[in-house]
Amino acid sequence: MTALPEFLKGNEALAYGALRAGLTAFYGYPITPSSEIPETLAAKVGRPEFPRFRVFLQAASELEAINLAIGTAATGARTMTATSGPGFSLKQEGISYAAAMELPLLIVNVNRAGPGLGNLGPEQSDYFQATRGGGHGGYRTIVLAPDSVPEMARLPALAFSLAFRYRTPVIVLTDAFLGQLKEDLPVPDVAPEEWDTSWAATGARGPVRHVLSSLHLELADQNRHSRHLAAKYAEIARTEQRSEDVATDDADVVLVAFGICARLARAAVGSMRARGLRVGLLRPITLAPFPRDRIDDLVLSGVRRFLVLELNHGQMVDDVALAAAGRAEVRGLTEVGGLLPTSAAIGAAVEAMAVSPTPLVAAEEVDA
Amino acid sequence: MRSEAIVAGHGGQGVLELANWLAYYHLANGRHVASTPSYGPETRGGKVRGSVVAADAPIDSPIIETPDLLVVMNTPSLDFVPMLRPGGTLLVNRSLVAEVAPRPGLRVVEVPATDLAAGLFAFAPEPGLDTSMAANAVVFGAILALGAGEWATVRGPVEEVFRHTLTDRKQAYRPLDLRATESGFRWVRDHGAGALPATAPGAPLAASNGGAAPP
Amino acid sequence: MSAAVGYATKWGALPTLTGAPTHYCAGCEHGTLTRLLASAIEARQARERAVLVSSVGCSVLAHEYLNVDAVQAPHGRAPAVMAGIKRARPDLLVFGVQGDGDAVSIGLLELVNAANRGEPISIFLVNNAIYGMTGGQMAPTTPAGMVTTTTPNGRDVATTGRPFDATRLLLGLDGPAYLRRVFLPVAPTGSADVFNARGALDGEAAIRHAFEVQERGGFSFVEFVSTCWVNWKVSILESKRYAARVLAPLFPPGLYRDRFGVEAR
Repeated sequence: MTALPEFLKGNEALAYGALRAGLTAFYGYPITPSSEIPETLAAKVGRPEFPRFRVFLQAASELEAINLAIGTAATGARTMTATSGPGFSLKQEGISYAAAMELPLLIVNVNRAGPGLGNLGPEQSDYFQATRGGGHGGYRTIVLAPDSVPEMARLPALAFSLAFRYRTPVIVLTDAFLGQLKEDLPVPDVAPEEWDTSWAATGARGPVRHVLSSLHLELADQNRHSRHLAAKYAEIARTEQRSEDVATDDADVVLVAFGICARLARAAVGSMRARGLRVGLLRPITLAPFPRDRIDDLVLSGVRRFLVLELNHGQMVDDVALAAAGRAEVRGLTEVGGLLPTSAAIGAAVEAMAVSPTPLVAAEEVDA
Repeated sequence: MRSEAIVAGHGGQGVLELANWLAYYHLANGRHVASTPSYGPETRGGKVRGSVVAADAPIDSPIIETPDLLVVMNTPSLDFVPMLRPGGTLLVNRSLVAEVAPRPGLRVVEVPATDLAAGLFAFAPEPGLDTSMAANAVVFGAILALGAGEWATVRGPVEEVFRHTLTDRKQAYRPLDLRATESGFRWVRDHGAGALPATAPGAPLAASNGGAAPP
Repeated sequence: MSAAVGYATKWGALPTLTGAPTHYCAGCEHGTLTRLLASAIEARQARERAVLVSSVGCSVLAHEYLNVDAVQAPHGRAPAVMAGIKRARPDLLVFGVQGDGDAVSIGLLELVNAANRGEPISIFLVNNAIYGMTGGQMAPTTPAGMVTTTTPNGRDVATTGRPFDATRLLLGLDGPAYLRRVFLPVAPTGSADVFNARGALDGEAAIRHAFEVQERGGFSFVEFVSTCWVNWKVSILESKRYAARVLAPLFPPGLYRDRFGVEAR
């Protein structure tokens, strides 16, 4: 018999991960299947093991929650809110303001099935909403996607690190399955990082004021600010792509999957390899910026077939196709409504792809 | 080595608590565990379901498609039987499931869990309390009896699991749950499978590895 | 007359004012309020711990004129943003200026819940009975019969509801510690062309009291009955007369709650 490790639901692990990353304040409105996050945090205010965690408030609405978070983020404190599908829609206005005001902020979306009220099963149908800004105006957010309970615990520290480094909202996009899944995880030993917060609105110091506003009435001012944001997003896209490769070295078919689908894909890689099929997995950890450079590397190393596995009608498949840029065949295998694709369906799709004729490739590749 | 178990019943039967105990029992034995409530590649309404995957190596997919073990706590949960892999084990709470049709190729273990639990009234934390709610602990013991090891070696990890998982409010139930677990364990070791008439002749295999043979 | 002179003597540079020319229309109480806020902040020596939350509406540029730290809130959400700042940094003096559309229409949920929780923040509502910045549409506070761009035949209370009294709504909650309504415009006197500026003095006193209440841990709310001659489509002087004649009875000035007794001191 061994000492019992931590055994937590994904949502609980995420809450602990945020606490260990130095969370100061949490605001949220209850919505299934994300409610374990506020429920876990509610009892932790003032506990000596998390000395920074001082503020927990159940907001009156999703709108109030994101705006309470904006207020706290404006003071430079580590702030988080969490929700699921319908609530994520309601928060979009606030996320747009936070992006425009360049506020570091962590927003968690435990994706459930939709559209509308949908159901409480897992989907990844908020992928576009998360990775394309989601609210009004031309902004982007950083989007992180865990695929296990231990990673649910690890990613809040990365999220805060990126949020403060770039002064931008960061979204953790997970799903109902991972939120409810319980797994054993090691106790992490991370000290919270420290970041510059000299920009925060915590009182003027003589002539030095801090004004956090998204209003730029002069057209030239807004133009300058939008260009500044775009340059920041370009830098993020250049430097912050993150992904994990599983057996892609010699792969004929590379599965691309995130979240719970990456777990299905891991199992598929194992079982297909056992049957002699050369299958690999590329798992985006940053959905935004999308790890297009890694796709590019795989294409340049000869991969000609990508199979994208996702819980929606086909959203990330667009990003894979954009990155492959016509140089490889990109297919999707999707499931919706809270259901997951079966291993048989994944196997059949991989086999169909593996035996298909070599896809069209770009001219220079053919010449080579 | 990966093992997959699904526990199914209705609300109030402690189905998810049972799944949690099973998960912690694996953890106590140094295995990796992934456990979920009622999500999966198939959904059937109106039932509570918990799945427990345990393995010596890190677990790739936490999803169960063809379980090794299915625990059926009520009649509607028999709907899950077709999921079982050939040669898998169907563990039935015989107190609440009137009849189990012949299941060729499956090992069927029937335990009158609710009745056994009700009989443990002497261990109720308060006099007069209905102890049949401890049926999930009886089934927990029955599951453990399917593996190797005697009660004397299983008991320690079980106690550790209860210490760790029961809320402060429920710690008073610990003696009852432990006794119920032992009762389920011994029932399977004493009776094996096939002891009850509803089981088709020839279909069930012996209930335990190294336990008592069917009478 | 003495009140008007007293107010006039206050004009001059204040460190809490940036000195930037405002976009407020001549005769608008927003300009008055900006001055009063600066004065009250300085009276508390609070400039370096003050954080202004500007809302959407005519007050959206308040941070251009008040020389303090500022955060701009989405439309209606200023009370939530204020509460988020204050909860993280209880040492700061957190206040916001909201219009009637912002606070009482689109942001009513945020206002009511911040008030109900007794958040130690100070909210200053400029009630000019109309949407100013968007160009004169009906507000929740628009009096019956007033012609606006969206009530061309005058506000029909049978279909659009009666003018919304935010102060009395908040009075129904236990949370607020200080509720005050001030008639801010210069007010007509018995003499046709003579107005008094008592409202400005009352207004500054109310702001000082609101800050005092906040720093004693209570929620403070001051509603300033104001004018908007541009969108009312009347002269400046006529707007003051209209406010005195129609708005003052509709939104009676006074001290509605003073839980800490700050006005008695």
